Amino acid sequence: MVTKTEETELNRLEIQVDNGGGGAWEYLCLVRKLKVRRSDKVLKHGLSILNDPKKRSNLGPEEWTLYEQVAVAAMDCQCLDVAKDYIKVLQKRFPESKRVGRLEGMLLESKGSWAEAEKAYSSLLEENPFDQVVLKRRVAMAKAQGNMSGAIEWLNKYLETFMADHDAWRELAEIYVSLQMYKQAAYCYEELILSQPTLPLYHLAYAEVLYTLGGLENLQTAKKYYASTIDLTGGKNTRALFGICLCTSAIGQLTKGRNKEEKESPELHSLAATALEKIYKQRAPTKLPLLNSALKGLKI
Amino acid sequence: MGGELKYEIAQNAYIKLVLHALKHKTAAVNAVLLGRLVTSTEGSHTLQISDAVPLFHSQITLLPPLEIALIQIEEYYGAQDMGIVGYFHANERFDDAELSSVAKNIGDHIYRYFPQAAVILLDNKKLESLPKGKDRSPVMQLYTKDASKNWRLAGSDGSSQLTIKEPSANVVLLDYIASEKWQDIIDFDDHLDDISKDWLNPELFK
Repeated sequence: MVTKTEETELNRLEIQVDNGGGGAWEYLCLVRKLKVRRSDKVLKHGLSILNDPKKRSNLGPEEWTLYEQVAVAAMDCQCLDVAKDYIKVLQKRFPESKRVGRLEGMLLESKGSWAEAEKAYSSLLEENPFDQVVLKRRVAMAKAQGNMSGAIEWLNKYLETFMADHDAWRELAEIYVSLQMYKQAAYCYEELILSQPTLPLYHLAYAEVLYTLGGLENLQTAKKYYASTIDLTGGKNTRALFGICLCTSAIGQLTKGRNKEEKESPELHSLAATALEKIYKQRAPTKLPLLNSALKGLKI
Repeated sequence: MGGELKYEIAQNAYIKLVLHALKHKTAAVNAVLLGRLVTSTEGSHTLQISDAVPLFHSQITLLPPLEIALIQIEEYYGAQDMGIVGYFHANERFDDAELSSVAKNIGDHIYRYFPQAAVILLDNKKLESLPKGKDRSPVMQLYTKDASKNWRLAGSDGSSQLTIKEPSANVVLLDYIASEKWQDIIDFDDHLDDISKDWLNPELFK
Protein backbone atom coordinates (compact mmCIF):
# COMPACT_ATOMS: atom_id res chain seq x y z
CA MET A 1 0.00 0.00 0.00
CA VAL A 2 1.24 3.43 -0.89
CA THR A 3 0.80 6.58 1.18
CA LYS A 4 -0.05 9.91 -0.40
CA THR A 5 3.45 11.25 0.35
CA GLU A 6 5.04 8.24 -1.29
CA GLU A 7 2.80 8.56 -4.34
CA THR A 8 3.60 12.27 -4.70
CA GLU A 9 7.33 11.55 -4.52
CA LEU A 10 7.00 8.75 -7.07
CA ASN A 11 5.06 10.93 -9.50
CA ARG A 12 7.55 13.75 -9.06
CA LEU A 13 10.43 11.42 -9.91
CA GLU A 14 8.50 9.97 -12.82
CA ILE A 15 7.90 13.39 -14.37
CA GLN A 16 11.54 14.28 -13.80
CA VAL A 17 12.84 11.18 -15.55
CA ASP A 18 10.25 11.46 -18.33
CA ASN A 19 11.46 14.97 -19.10
CA GLY A 20 15.12 13.96 -19.26
CA GLY A 21 16.02 15.28 -15.81
CA GLY A 22 17.79 12.10 -14.73
CA GLY A 23 17.08 9.98 -11.66
CA ALA A 24 16.02 6.86 -13.56
CA TRP A 25 17.73 4.51 -11.12
CA GLU A 26 16.12 6.22 -8.07
CA TYR A 27 12.75 5.99 -9.80
CA LEU A 28 13.16 2.30 -10.59
CA CYS A 29 14.26 1.56 -7.01
CA LEU A 30 11.24 3.40 -5.61
CA VAL A 31 8.88 1.50 -7.92
CA ARG A 32 10.43 -1.73 -6.69
CA LYS A 33 10.19 -0.68 -3.05
CA LEU A 34 6.56 0.45 -3.26
CA LYS A 35 5.60 -2.52 -5.45
CA VAL A 36 3.54 -0.38 -7.80
CA ARG A 37 2.64 -1.38 -11.32
CA ARG A 38 4.08 1.15 -13.78
CA SER A 39 5.34 -1.28 -16.35
CA ASP A 40 5.48 1.02 -19.37
CA LYS A 41 7.69 3.52 -17.53
CA VAL A 42 9.84 0.79 -15.95
CA LEU A 43 10.36 -0.76 -19.35
CA LYS A 44 11.26 2.54 -21.00
CA HIS A 45 13.67 3.77 -18.35
CA GLY A 46 15.05 0.36 -17.46
CA LEU A 47 15.93 -0.29 -21.09
CA SER A 48 17.72 3.05 -21.32
CA ILE A 49 20.01 1.99 -18.48
CA LEU A 50 20.53 -1.62 -19.52
CA ASN A 51 21.23 -0.80 -23.15
CA ASP A 52 24.00 1.58 -22.16
CA PRO A 53 27.11 -0.46 -21.18
CA LYS A 54 28.55 2.37 -19.09
CA LYS A 55 25.35 2.92 -17.09
CA ARG A 56 25.03 -0.84 -16.70
CA SER A 57 28.48 -1.32 -15.23
CA ASN A 58 27.83 1.55 -12.81
CA LEU A 59 25.10 -0.56 -11.23
CA GLY A 60 27.48 -3.26 -10.08
CA PRO A 61 25.67 -6.30 -8.65
CA GLU A 62 22.34 -4.41 -8.75
CA GLU A 63 22.42 -4.98 -12.51
CA TRP A 64 20.75 -8.38 -12.07
CA THR A 65 17.91 -6.95 -9.98
CA LEU A 66 17.26 -4.48 -12.76
CA TYR A 67 17.22 -7.24 -15.39
CA GLU A 68 14.59 -9.03 -13.33
CA GLN A 69 12.50 -5.89 -12.82
CA VAL A 70 12.58 -4.94 -16.50
CA ALA A 71 11.88 -8.51 -17.61
CA VAL A 72 8.67 -8.50 -15.56
CA ALA A 73 7.72 -5.05 -16.86
CA ALA A 74 8.38 -6.22 -20.42
CA MET A 75 6.04 -9.16 -19.93
CA ASP A 76 3.36 -6.82 -18.59
CA CYS A 77 3.73 -4.70 -21.73
CA GLN A 78 3.74 -7.77 -23.99
CA CYS A 79 7.32 -7.10 -25.18
CA LEU A 80 8.12 -10.78 -24.96
CA ASP A 81 11.38 -10.62 -26.93
CA VAL A 82 12.89 -8.22 -24.43
CA ALA A 83 11.68 -10.41 -21.58
CA LYS A 84 13.08 -13.55 -23.18
CA ASP A 85 16.48 -11.94 -23.75
CA TYR A 86 16.78 -10.67 -20.21
CA ILE A 87 15.68 -13.99 -18.73
CA LYS A 88 18.37 -15.68 -20.81
CA VAL A 89 20.94 -13.26 -19.39
CA LEU A 90 19.80 -14.12 -15.87
CA GLN A 91 19.80 -17.86 -16.63
CA LYS A 92 23.40 -17.62 -17.76
CA ARG A 93 24.44 -15.76 -14.63
CA PHE A 94 22.35 -17.82 -12.19
CA PRO A 95 21.93 -21.32 -13.60
CA GLU A 96 19.57 -23.60 -11.62
CA SER A 97 18.10 -20.57 -9.86
CA LYS A 98 14.51 -20.91 -8.56
CA ARG A 99 14.08 -17.16 -8.82
CA VAL A 100 14.88 -17.31 -12.54
CA GLY A 101 12.66 -20.39 -12.78
CA ARG A 102 9.73 -18.24 -11.65
CA LEU A 103 10.49 -15.76 -14.41
CA GLU A 104 10.45 -18.59 -16.94
CA GLY A 105 7.04 -19.58 -15.65
CA MET A 106 5.83 -16.01 -15.95
CA LEU A 107 7.07 -15.87 -19.54
CA LEU A 108 4.98 -18.92 -20.35
CA GLU A 109 2.03 -17.19 -18.72
CA SER A 110 2.48 -14.06 -20.80
CA LYS A 111 2.50 -16.18 -23.94
CA GLY A 112 -0.80 -17.70 -22.87
CA SER A 113 0.75 -21.18 -22.52
CA TRP A 114 -1.21 -21.88 -19.37
CA ALA A 115 -0.65 -25.62 -19.21
CA GLU A 116 3.12 -25.29 -19.58
CA ALA A 117 3.24 -22.52 -17.02
CA GLU A 118 1.26 -24.69 -14.61
CA LYS A 119 3.77 -27.51 -15.17
CA ALA A 120 6.70 -25.19 -14.51
CA TYR A 121 5.12 -23.89 -11.32
CA SER A 122 4.19 -27.37 -10.12
CA SER A 123 7.77 -28.54 -10.42
CA LEU A 124 9.00 -25.46 -8.56
CA LEU A 125 6.46 -26.20 -5.84
CA GLU A 126 7.63 -29.80 -5.58
CA GLU A 127 11.00 -28.55 -4.43
CA ASN A 128 9.54 -25.84 -2.22
CA PRO A 129 5.82 -26.18 -1.50
CA PHE A 130 5.85 -22.90 0.44
CA ASP A 131 7.08 -20.67 -2.36
CA GLN A 132 4.73 -17.74 -1.86
CA VAL A 133 5.45 -16.10 -5.18
CA VAL A 134 4.66 -19.24 -7.16
CA LEU A 135 1.53 -19.95 -5.13
CA LYS A 136 0.34 -16.45 -5.93
CA ARG A 137 1.18 -16.88 -9.62
CA ARG A 138 -1.26 -19.78 -9.63
CA VAL A 139 -3.99 -17.49 -8.37
CA ALA A 140 -3.02 -14.87 -10.95
CA MET A 141 -3.18 -17.46 -13.74
CA ALA A 142 -6.65 -18.54 -12.73
CA LYS A 143 -7.76 -14.93 -12.66
CA ALA A 144 -6.19 -14.21 -16.05
CA GLN A 145 -8.13 -17.04 -17.59
CA GLY A 146 -11.35 -15.80 -16.09
CA ASN A 147 -11.54 -18.73 -13.72
CA MET A 148 -12.68 -16.72 -10.71
CA SER A 149 -13.83 -19.69 -8.64
CA GLY A 150 -10.44 -21.29 -9.18
CA ALA A 151 -8.69 -18.09 -8.17
CA ILE A 152 -10.81 -17.92 -5.02
CA GLU A 153 -10.07 -21.56 -4.19
CA TRP A 154 -6.30 -21.18 -4.62
CA LEU A 155 -6.25 -17.90 -2.72
CA ASN A 156 -8.21 -19.33 0.20
CA LYS A 157 -5.81 -22.27 0.32
CA TYR A 158 -2.87 -19.87 0.27
CA LEU A 159 -4.35 -17.89 3.16
CA GLU A 160 -4.76 -21.04 5.27
CA THR A 161 -0.97 -21.20 5.36
CA PHE A 162 -0.06 -17.55 5.09
CA MET A 163 -2.85 -15.91 7.08
CA ALA A 164 -0.75 -12.86 7.86
CA ASP A 165 -0.41 -11.86 4.19
CA HIS A 166 -2.49 -8.68 4.15
CA ASP A 167 -2.11 -8.13 0.42
CA ALA A 168 -3.59 -11.56 -0.19
CA TRP A 169 -6.59 -10.81 2.04
CA ARG A 170 -7.12 -7.55 0.16
CA GLU A 171 -6.89 -9.31 -3.18
CA LEU A 172 -9.43 -11.88 -2.05
CA ALA A 173 -11.75 -9.15 -0.78
CA GLU A 174 -11.53 -7.31 -4.09
CA ILE A 175 -12.25 -10.49 -6.05
CA TYR A 176 -15.32 -11.11 -3.90
CA VAL A 177 -16.48 -7.51 -4.40
CA SER A 178 -16.08 -7.81 -8.16
CA LEU A 179 -18.28 -10.89 -8.07
CA GLN A 180 -20.78 -9.13 -5.79
CA MET A 181 -20.12 -11.68 -3.00
CA TYR A 182 -20.28 -8.98 -0.35
CA LYS A 183 -20.66 -11.19 2.74
CA GLN A 184 -17.42 -12.97 1.91
CA ALA A 185 -15.70 -9.67 1.16
CA ALA A 186 -16.85 -8.37 4.55
CA TYR A 187 -15.22 -11.37 6.23
CA CYS A 188 -11.89 -10.54 4.57
CA TYR A 189 -12.05 -6.93 5.71
CA GLU A 190 -12.89 -8.09 9.24
CA GLU A 191 -9.69 -10.16 9.23
CA LEU A 192 -7.72 -7.16 8.02
CA ILE A 193 -9.19 -4.83 10.64
CA LEU A 194 -8.40 -7.38 13.36
CA SER A 195 -4.76 -7.58 12.33
CA GLN A 196 -4.25 -3.89 11.53
CA PRO A 197 -6.91 -1.96 13.44
CA THR A 198 -5.39 1.46 12.85
CA LEU A 199 -5.39 1.40 9.04
CA PRO A 200 -8.32 3.56 7.91
CA LEU A 201 -8.39 1.96 4.45
CA TYR A 202 -9.80 -1.26 5.89
CA HIS A 203 -12.43 0.52 8.00
CA LEU A 204 -13.55 2.43 4.92
CA ALA A 205 -13.67 -0.61 2.66
CA TYR A 206 -15.58 -2.58 5.31
CA ALA A 207 -18.12 0.25 5.69
CA GLU A 208 -18.66 0.43 1.92
CA VAL A 209 -19.24 -3.31 1.67
CA LEU A 210 -21.68 -3.30 4.60
CA TYR A 211 -23.63 -0.41 3.08
CA THR A 212 -23.82 -2.32 -0.19
CA LEU A 213 -25.11 -5.40 1.64
CA GLY A 214 -27.85 -3.26 3.13
CA GLY A 215 -30.29 -3.95 5.93
CA LEU A 216 -30.64 -1.95 9.11
CA GLU A 217 -27.95 -3.69 11.15
CA ASN A 218 -25.36 -3.50 8.37
CA LEU A 219 -26.13 0.17 7.78
CA GLN A 220 -25.71 0.94 11.48
CA THR A 221 -22.39 -0.91 11.57
CA ALA A 222 -21.29 0.78 8.35
CA LYS A 223 -21.98 4.13 9.95
CA LYS A 224 -19.73 3.17 12.88
CA TYR A 225 -16.90 2.24 10.55
CA TYR A 226 -17.28 5.39 8.46
CA ALA A 227 -17.00 7.24 11.78
CA SER A 228 -13.86 5.37 12.76
CA THR A 229 -12.38 6.13 9.34
CA ILE A 230 -13.03 9.82 9.93
CA ASP A 231 -11.42 9.47 13.33
CA LEU A 232 -8.33 7.75 11.93
CA THR A 233 -7.93 10.24 9.07
CA GLY A 234 -8.48 13.42 11.05
CA GLY A 235 -11.74 14.13 9.27
CA LYS A 236 -10.11 14.46 5.87
CA ASN A 237 -11.56 11.45 4.10
CA THR A 238 -14.28 12.62 1.69
CA ARG A 239 -15.62 9.11 1.06
CA ALA A 240 -16.19 8.52 4.77
CA LEU A 241 -17.92 11.88 5.22
CA PHE A 242 -20.26 11.08 2.35
CA GLY A 243 -20.72 7.63 3.83
CA ILE A 244 -22.06 9.04 7.09
CA CYS A 245 -24.64 11.10 5.19
CA LEU A 246 -25.69 8.14 3.05
CA CYS A 247 -26.00 5.84 6.06
CA THR A 248 -28.01 8.31 8.11
CA SER A 249 -30.36 8.86 5.21
CA ALA A 250 -30.79 5.14 4.49
CA ILE A 251 -31.27 4.29 8.19
CA GLY A 252 -33.80 7.11 8.44
CA GLN A 253 -35.76 5.62 5.54
CA LEU A 254 -35.78 2.18 7.15
CA THR A 255 -36.78 3.39 10.61
CA LYS A 256 -39.53 5.73 9.43
CA GLY A 257 -42.50 5.54 11.75
CA ARG A 258 -40.64 3.65 14.45
CA ASN A 259 -40.25 4.68 18.09
CA LYS A 260 -38.26 7.75 18.82
CA GLU A 261 -35.72 5.76 20.89
CA GLU A 262 -34.72 3.77 17.85
CA LYS A 263 -34.09 6.84 15.76
CA GLU A 264 -30.56 8.02 15.23
CA SER A 265 -29.37 11.37 16.49
CA PRO A 266 -28.71 13.72 13.60
CA GLU A 267 -25.53 15.25 15.05
CA LEU A 268 -23.07 13.04 13.24
CA HIS A 269 -24.84 13.67 9.94
CA SER A 270 -24.78 17.45 10.34
CA LEU A 271 -21.15 17.38 11.45
CA ALA A 272 -20.23 15.39 8.35
CA ALA A 273 -22.28 17.65 6.09
CA THR A 274 -20.61 20.74 7.53
CA ALA A 275 -17.18 19.19 7.09
CA LEU A 276 -17.98 18.36 3.46
CA GLU A 277 -19.17 21.89 2.77
CA LYS A 278 -15.97 23.28 4.24
CA ILE A 279 -13.78 20.97 2.16
CA TYR A 280 -15.66 21.69 -1.06
CA LYS A 281 -15.64 25.43 -0.45
CA GLN A 282 -11.89 25.25 -0.06
CA ARG A 283 -10.89 22.88 -2.84
CA ALA A 284 -13.79 22.51 -5.29
CA PRO A 285 -15.90 25.67 -5.04
CA THR A 286 -17.51 25.15 -8.44
CA LYS A 287 -19.02 21.93 -7.16
CA LEU A 288 -20.40 23.47 -3.96
CA PRO A 289 -23.96 24.03 -5.26
CA LEU A 290 -24.11 20.41 -6.45
CA LEU A 291 -22.86 19.22 -3.07
CA ASN A 292 -25.46 21.30 -1.25
CA SER A 293 -28.37 19.94 -3.24
CA ALA A 294 -27.02 16.39 -2.85
CA LEU A 295 -26.83 16.85 0.92
CA LYS A 296 -30.29 18.40 0.97
CA GLY A 297 -31.63 15.27 -0.72
CA LEU A 298 -29.96 13.09 1.90
CA LYS A 299 -31.41 14.97 4.88
CA ILE A 300 -33.69 12.77 6.93
CA MET B 1 -43.62 4.67 -30.55
CA GLY B 2 -43.42 4.21 -34.29
CA GLY B 3 -40.29 3.23 -36.16
CA GLU B 4 -36.90 1.91 -35.10
CA LEU B 5 -35.15 3.61 -32.19
CA LYS B 6 -31.75 4.84 -33.30
CA TYR B 7 -28.79 5.18 -30.96
CA GLU B 8 -26.24 7.91 -31.55
CA ILE B 9 -23.26 8.90 -29.47
CA ALA B 10 -21.44 12.23 -29.68
CA GLN B 11 -17.72 12.23 -30.39
CA ASN B 12 -16.73 13.81 -27.07
CA ALA B 13 -18.69 11.27 -25.06
CA TYR B 14 -17.29 8.42 -27.16
CA ILE B 15 -13.69 9.55 -26.79
CA LYS B 16 -14.03 10.14 -23.03
CA LEU B 17 -15.24 6.56 -22.57
CA VAL B 18 -12.38 4.98 -24.51
CA LEU B 19 -9.70 7.21 -22.96
CA HIS B 20 -10.97 6.32 -19.49
CA ALA B 21 -10.70 2.61 -20.28
CA LEU B 22 -7.19 3.13 -21.66
CA LYS B 23 -6.06 5.00 -18.57
CA HIS B 24 -6.90 1.99 -16.42
CA LYS B 25 -5.89 -0.91 -18.64
CA THR B 26 -5.69 -3.44 -15.85
CA ALA B 27 -9.06 -2.73 -14.27
CA ALA B 28 -12.72 -2.82 -15.11
CA VAL B 29 -14.11 0.72 -15.55
CA ASN B 30 -17.55 2.19 -15.94
CA ALA B 31 -19.32 5.42 -16.82
CA VAL B 32 -22.78 6.94 -17.11
CA LEU B 33 -24.18 8.18 -20.38
CA LEU B 34 -26.05 11.46 -20.51
CA GLY B 35 -28.39 12.65 -23.18
CA ARG B 36 -31.99 12.77 -24.29
CA LEU B 37 -34.52 11.19 -26.54
CA VAL B 38 -35.07 13.23 -29.71
CA THR B 39 -37.95 12.95 -32.16
CA SER B 40 -37.37 14.23 -35.67
CA THR B 41 -39.99 15.99 -37.78
CA GLU B 42 -40.48 12.75 -39.78
CA GLY B 43 -41.33 10.93 -36.58
CA SER B 44 -38.14 8.93 -36.14
CA HIS B 45 -36.70 8.61 -32.67
CA THR B 46 -33.06 8.83 -31.70
CA LEU B 47 -31.45 8.34 -28.32
CA GLN B 48 -28.75 10.99 -28.39
CA ILE B 49 -25.89 10.31 -26.03
CA SER B 50 -24.29 13.75 -25.79
CA ASP B 51 -21.93 13.32 -22.88
CA ALA B 52 -20.44 10.76 -20.52
CA VAL B 53 -19.08 10.91 -17.00
CA PRO B 54 -16.37 8.31 -16.24
CA LEU B 55 -17.14 6.82 -12.85
CA PHE B 56 -14.81 4.29 -11.27
CA HIS B 57 -11.79 2.10 -11.83
CA SER B 58 -11.66 0.22 -8.52
CA GLN B 59 -14.24 -1.85 -6.62
CA ILE B 60 -16.85 -0.70 -9.08
CA THR B 61 -19.67 -2.76 -7.61
CA LEU B 62 -19.85 -0.87 -4.32
CA LEU B 63 -22.93 1.26 -3.80
CA PRO B 64 -21.92 4.32 -1.74
CA PRO B 65 -19.65 5.96 -4.34
CA LEU B 66 -22.12 5.09 -7.10
CA GLU B 67 -25.02 6.70 -5.24
CA ILE B 68 -23.05 9.86 -4.53
CA ALA B 69 -21.98 10.08 -8.16
CA LEU B 70 -25.46 9.57 -9.57
CA ILE B 71 -27.02 12.19 -7.26
CA GLN B 72 -24.54 14.84 -8.33
CA ILE B 73 -24.53 13.87 -12.01
CA GLU B 74 -28.32 13.91 -12.26
CA GLU B 75 -28.43 17.29 -10.56
CA TYR B 76 -25.86 18.84 -12.89
CA TYR B 77 -27.19 17.49 -16.17
CA GLY B 78 -30.83 17.87 -15.17
CA ALA B 79 -30.28 21.61 -15.21
CA GLN B 80 -29.21 21.24 -18.84
CA ASP B 81 -32.26 19.23 -19.78
CA MET B 82 -30.28 16.01 -20.07
CA GLY B 83 -30.79 12.82 -18.12
CA ILE B 84 -28.99 9.56 -17.44
CA VAL B 85 -29.76 7.51 -20.53
CA GLY B 86 -27.36 4.63 -20.22
CA TYR B 87 -24.34 2.93 -18.74
CA PHE B 88 -20.91 2.06 -20.09
CA HIS B 89 -18.74 -0.80 -18.93
CA ALA B 90 -15.30 -2.08 -19.88
CA ASN B 91 -14.23 -5.50 -18.64
CA GLU B 92 -11.01 -6.16 -16.79
CA ARG B 93 -9.73 -8.82 -19.19
CA PHE B 94 -9.04 -8.41 -22.88
CA ASP B 95 -10.80 -11.58 -24.00
CA ASP B 96 -13.85 -11.13 -21.80
CA ALA B 97 -16.63 -10.00 -24.13
CA GLU B 98 -19.52 -10.82 -21.84
CA LEU B 99 -21.87 -8.31 -20.31
CA SER B 100 -21.28 -8.83 -16.59
CA SER B 101 -24.06 -9.04 -14.01
CA VAL B 102 -22.81 -5.79 -12.50
CA ALA B 103 -23.42 -4.03 -15.81
CA LYS B 104 -26.84 -5.63 -16.12
CA ASN B 105 -27.77 -4.61 -12.57
CA ILE B 106 -26.84 -1.00 -13.07
CA GLY B 107 -28.50 -1.08 -16.48
CA ASP B 108 -31.67 -2.39 -14.86
CA HIS B 109 -31.60 0.42 -12.34
CA ILE B 110 -31.33 3.05 -15.08
CA TYR B 111 -33.96 1.27 -17.16
CA ARG B 112 -36.45 1.68 -14.31
CA TYR B 113 -36.33 5.45 -14.75
CA PHE B 114 -35.63 5.52 -18.49
CA PRO B 115 -37.04 2.65 -20.54
CA GLN B 116 -34.96 3.38 -23.64
CA ALA B 117 -31.75 2.97 -21.64
CA ALA B 118 -28.66 1.77 -23.47
CA VAL B 119 -25.88 -0.37 -22.00
CA ILE B 120 -22.60 -0.17 -23.86
CA LEU B 121 -19.69 -2.58 -23.52
CA LEU B 122 -16.20 -1.76 -24.74
CA ASP B 123 -15.16 -4.06 -27.58
CA ASN B 124 -11.53 -4.78 -26.77
CA LYS B 125 -10.75 -6.63 -29.96
CA LYS B 126 -12.19 -3.83 -32.09
CA LEU B 127 -10.21 -1.27 -30.11
CA GLU B 128 -7.03 -3.25 -30.67
CA SER B 129 -7.49 -3.37 -34.43
CA LEU B 130 -8.55 0.26 -34.70
CA PRO B 131 -5.18 1.60 -35.91
CA LYS B 132 -5.08 -1.00 -38.65
CA GLY B 133 -8.29 -0.19 -40.46
CA LYS B 134 -10.50 2.69 -41.48
CA ASP B 135 -13.51 1.58 -39.49
CA ARG B 136 -15.91 4.38 -38.65
CA SER B 137 -18.10 2.39 -36.35
CA PRO B 138 -17.61 2.70 -32.60
CA VAL B 139 -15.36 0.21 -30.78
CA MET B 140 -18.31 -0.67 -28.60
CA GLN B 141 -21.19 -3.06 -28.37
CA LEU B 142 -24.69 -1.79 -27.69
CA TYR B 143 -27.15 -3.69 -25.53
CA THR B 144 -30.81 -2.81 -25.19
CA LYS B 145 -33.74 -4.41 -23.38
CA ASP B 146 -35.71 -6.75 -25.59
CA ALA B 147 -39.36 -7.70 -25.28
CA SER B 148 -38.60 -10.33 -22.64
CA LYS B 149 -36.71 -7.73 -20.56
CA ASN B 150 -33.28 -9.21 -21.22
CA TRP B 151 -30.27 -7.20 -22.29
CA ARG B 152 -29.83 -8.11 -25.95
CA LEU B 153 -26.90 -7.29 -28.21
CA ALA B 154 -28.00 -4.72 -30.80
CA GLY B 155 -28.05 -5.84 -34.39
CA SER B 156 -28.54 -9.49 -33.53
CA ASP B 157 -32.30 -9.24 -34.01
CA GLY B 158 -32.35 -6.54 -36.64
CA SER B 159 -32.36 -3.67 -34.16
CA SER B 160 -30.19 -0.71 -34.97
CA GLN B 161 -26.54 -0.40 -34.10
CA LEU B 162 -24.80 2.41 -32.26
CA THR B 163 -23.48 5.15 -34.52
CA ILE B 164 -21.15 8.02 -33.79
CA LYS B 165 -22.52 11.45 -34.61
CA GLU B 166 -19.26 12.74 -36.10
CA PRO B 167 -17.97 10.42 -38.85
CA SER B 168 -14.29 11.09 -38.21
CA ALA B 169 -14.43 10.31 -34.50
CA ASN B 170 -12.13 7.30 -34.75
CA VAL B 171 -9.47 9.40 -36.48
CA VAL B 172 -9.59 11.91 -33.64
CA LEU B 173 -9.53 9.07 -31.11
CA LEU B 174 -6.43 7.52 -32.64
CA ASP B 175 -4.76 10.91 -32.51
CA TYR B 176 -5.51 11.25 -28.81
CA ILE B 177 -4.30 7.72 -28.14
CA ALA B 178 -1.02 8.48 -29.88
CA SER B 179 -0.53 11.55 -27.71
CA GLU B 180 -1.42 9.57 -24.54
CA LYS B 181 -4.32 11.92 -23.85
CA TRP B 182 -5.81 9.35 -21.48
CA GLN B 183 -3.54 10.66 -18.75
CA ASP B 184 -5.66 13.79 -18.50
CA ILE B 185 -9.00 12.11 -17.94
CA ILE B 186 -10.59 12.38 -14.48
CA ASP B 187 -13.22 10.00 -13.16
CA PHE B 188 -15.38 10.08 -10.05
CA ASP B 189 -12.91 7.85 -8.20
CA ASP B 190 -10.20 10.45 -8.80
CA HIS B 191 -12.56 13.16 -7.58
CA LEU B 192 -13.36 11.32 -4.36
CA ASP B 193 -9.64 10.85 -3.73
CA ASP B 194 -8.94 14.53 -4.42
CA ILE B 195 -12.00 16.73 -4.81
CA SER B 196 -10.08 19.43 -6.62
CA LYS B 197 -10.13 17.06 -9.62
CA ASP B 198 -13.19 17.78 -11.75
CA TRP B 199 -15.21 14.80 -13.03
CA LEU B 200 -16.73 17.01 -15.69
CA ASN B 201 -13.36 17.10 -17.46
CA PRO B 202 -13.95 20.67 -18.66
CA GLU B 203 -10.42 21.13 -20.00
CA LEU B 204 -10.09 17.78 -21.73
CA PHE B 205 -10.97 18.82 -25.27
CA LYS B 206 -9.68 22.37 -25.16
